[in-house]
Amino acid sequence: MTISRRVFVKSSALAMVSFGMDPLFLPRALFSPYRPLPSHTVSSHPILVCLFQRGAVDGLNMIVPHGESAYYQERPRIAVPRETVIDLDGHFGLHPSLAPLKALWDNKSLAAIHAIGSPDATRSHFDAQDYMETGTPGVKSTGDGWANRYCQHDREHAETPFRAVAFGPQLPRILAGSAPSLAIDDLQAFGLRVPQEAARDRLTRAFEELYDGAGTGLLASSSREGFDAVQMLKQADPTQYRPANGADYPPGRLGKTLLQIAQLIKSDVGLEIAFADCSGWDTHVNQGSNEGQLAARLRELGSALAAFNQDLGERMRDVVVLTMSEFGRTIRENGNSGTDHGHATAMMVLGGPVNGGRVLGRWPGLGADQRFEGRDVAVTTDFRDLFSEILTRHLGATDLQSVFPGYVSTGRVVGAIRG
Amino acid sequence: MHVIILFALAVQAPALTPRDSAFHALNRLAYGARAGEAETVARFGVMRWIERQLDPEHIDDSRLAARERQFKILDYDRADLAERFRDVQRERQRMQREAAARGDTSRPRGAEGAPMREFRELGGELQQLAVVRATLSERQLREVMVDFWTNHFNVFVGKGADRFLLPSYIEETIRPRALGTFEDLLIATAESPAMLFYLDNAQSVAPGSSPPAQRQFLNPFRRPRFGMNELPEDRRRRQPTGINENYARELLELHTLGVDGGYTQQDIIEVARIFTGWSIERPEQGAGFVFRDWAHDRGTKHVFGMTFHDDGQDEGIRLLKSLAMQHATMHHVSAKLCARFVADEPPDGCVDAAVAAWQRTGGDIRAVLHAIFTSPDFWAPQVVRSKVKTPLEFVVSALRATGVEPDTGARVAQVVARLGEPLYQQPAPTGYAETEEHWVNSGALLARMNAALMIAKASTSIPTMVDHTQLVDAINQQLLGGTMSAHTRSVILEQLNDINDPIQARTMAVGLALGGPDFQRQ
Repeated sequence: MTISRRVFVKSSALAMVSFGMDPLFLPRALFSPYRPLPSHTVSSHPILVCLFQRGAVDGLNMIVPHGESAYYQERPRIAVPRETVIDLDGHFGLHPSLAPLKALWDNKSLAAIHAIGSPDATRSHFDAQDYMETGTPGVKSTGDGWANRYCQHDREHAETPFRAVAFGPQLPRILAGSAPSLAIDDLQAFGLRVPQEAARDRLTRAFEELYDGAGTGLLASSSREGFDAVQMLKQADPTQYRPANGADYPPGRLGKTLLQIAQLIKSDVGLEIAFADCSGWDTHVNQGSNEGQLAARLRELGSALAAFNQDLGERMRDVVVLTMSEFGRTIRENGNSGTDHGHATAMMVLGGPVNGGRVLGRWPGLGADQRFEGRDVAVTTDFRDLFSEILTRHLGATDLQSVFPGYVSTGRVVGAIRG
Repeated sequence: MHVIILFALAVQAPALTPRDSAFHALNRLAYGARAGEAETVARFGVMRWIERQLDPEHIDDSRLAARERQFKILDYDRADLAERFRDVQRERQRMQREAAARGDTSRPRGAEGAPMREFRELGGELQQLAVVRATLSERQLREVMVDFWTNHFNVFVGKGADRFLLPSYIEETIRPRALGTFEDLLIATAESPAMLFYLDNAQSVAPGSSPPAQRQFLNPFRRPRFGMNELPEDRRRRQPTGINENYARELLELHTLGVDGGYTQQDIIEVARIFTGWSIERPEQGAGFVFRDWAHDRGTKHVFGMTFHDDGQDEGIRLLKSLAMQHATMHHVSAKLCARFVADEPPDGCVDAAVAAWQRTGGDIRAVLHAIFTSPDFWAPQVVRSKVKTPLEFVVSALRATGVEPDTGARVAQVVARLGEPLYQQPAPTGYAETEEHWVNSGALLARMNAALMIAKASTSIPTMVDHTQLVDAINQQLLGGTMSAHTRSVILEQLNDINDPIQARTMAVGLALGGPDFQRQ
């Protein structure tokens, strides 16, 4: 039943791997953000990195509609002043904390999608996150996540233990399901937790031998994958990793996670989908404008993404980073100088395959009659429109029916990925 | 033809010895055997032991009761916890304001005040209590069934009010009914504040209905205490405006009929209308169940050949009683029970036997279980050791086999979480899965090996022996009931070769035995 579910292509994949010794890119002395050009000289495969901004990011203060007077009328205390917004296209601009991303906008590897969200109207964090991860808005009983279903249906790629990796202690909903996927809390500590290296190696070999005798079946194949992964990482030696091109990751969890994702990408272990959380966006109280809570979170996000882009350099050619959040926040600031749970928000896509330098999606406006339920930014782009465009155009998915069951494409192209 | 093949299989397969039968029963009806327990049960008589497990009130469990008294969480009722939760929320808001004033969002752990720390510790206790009960209780089958129903009627502790509603859900809704009747359990979960909040039925109201306080506002002769505009924005926004189908959908799909149970979207809507008004009191009033007459849809509903009209809460009760005895429900839940006790893909025989017992007894859970345990499928040799343990089963069976005592802190529950099954933290209403393919993956297996090494270090009650062969034989008997494979045995012996220190040898041998493939199965 389940024995054949793992394709044993990995042994050949293993043979091709050469760790660290001969990186596919040259260290770049240039410290300017690099716009990778399509290249056919190096064999490569597409990679998707998903960042979930849990807590519902205020899309209006992240990608600021500074051309809308309603924005300033509704947010007397927390609006980002026109003179400090980093203008993008005369109507929208970046929050000043996202300044490190401006160069990526200019070289057209960064795009934003505004007024994007779920067709389901829930304002519960839990439900909305769940829907965004299962990819089935309104249906609670979906057992697996859309990223896992993509891995289930698309089996052409060589399977490696590192094909789908979530950074964190537990596998998130988006990667839950029957396709193998890995939760890694810390790359350096992956494997057996035994302090002395010699003892660790010995125990690892002993367990490996035990499971080798387990015959066939899932226990045998999964343990094989696990030991391969340990072996691959040992050779890649994550403790020795130094970011390239002068990339400077900010301190904190997000910077550390993106550094580890960059490391895994450069190790060529077959990573296709990486997922990480970044939290702290639920700004009900004293959200701030140029400075304050949200500004601090955005500063960390902007500098971490810029460092990731810098670190990967040429490799960004194959990478798309997608930020997502369960919903947006109220247009009007509340009595505590914060914002409450709203509807549509903004997402960002970054990377070589991105059709950047544009704010995409149909902007519904902030006027009273243009709002959702009279108070929130209306959703004009279903999040599945964007996710499926990334899956098809970037990862090459062919069967979206099984990835987003019940989703009927409007046929409208978001245009985030170059077709 | 079919019968002949079955007969031939039965003849070929060697029958289980009494001790093997006892070990099998302990693996499935209990969280594995403790040292020497397979022998005790075999002497007592396996079937007699099973009958006793089905009648837990007559099993003395005073040792567990003494341990339970160390858990503070059991001293608090729902209202106490609701109050503490409000304190936590107030503190969180205060911290947010202070952090914003500083322009700093990093929240160091040490900064949290007493209410937050206490609530977090209580949450940890709740998980650990489940592990302690599973490990120490003499009423093992009841603990297994509590876990089964907790997953069947799953509630996610992380969703808002469920953070304080879950303890009473486990203590008062699930535990007393784990071996009662299905109907009783179904009605109790439907009325539980935890479920009403989790699946949003608490805010499902008949379209156009509004609470009396607001209707007073429309009465010009009576001055309202609060007009709509004076309500805080949050509360105004939360005023529900129509039916919410979530509970109705999961009730049919997961709790009763099953996804192929033959119902339609229209059925879901009718069921949701029947449950309008089933809601929760405000937290300061104790957050108990309340039926709100004003929110109930008084119109006529037709579903499953029944008609409901303006009969208040009784409509829902009548529907639940009917659902509990629908054939699809009996089949769906019986198959799930057999997946738990017999095999991931259970044979028809045991499922049919369970359904027949259900029908005969009106859904008496003991009778249904009895039918499964006396079905030939349960004892078929190909079923023995065919199931992979869930993370909870793995950790608890390792503790029981090695005699390691779980403490009152959250440590062991955290190990279960690291293995992929953080208790009460499954967001999806499906609960945690039962089958091998959900639990066996490379990361999870490595985590199991780490857990095994950790438990091995604490396994001081296993005697040390200078003779490695004797040591491995003893471990084979105590941890694996004599089922250690020849391969496992030779790998462990080889590893012990150059280890002279008997304590080191024990740790190594126990760690490899618990983390190896044999102990993953039950």
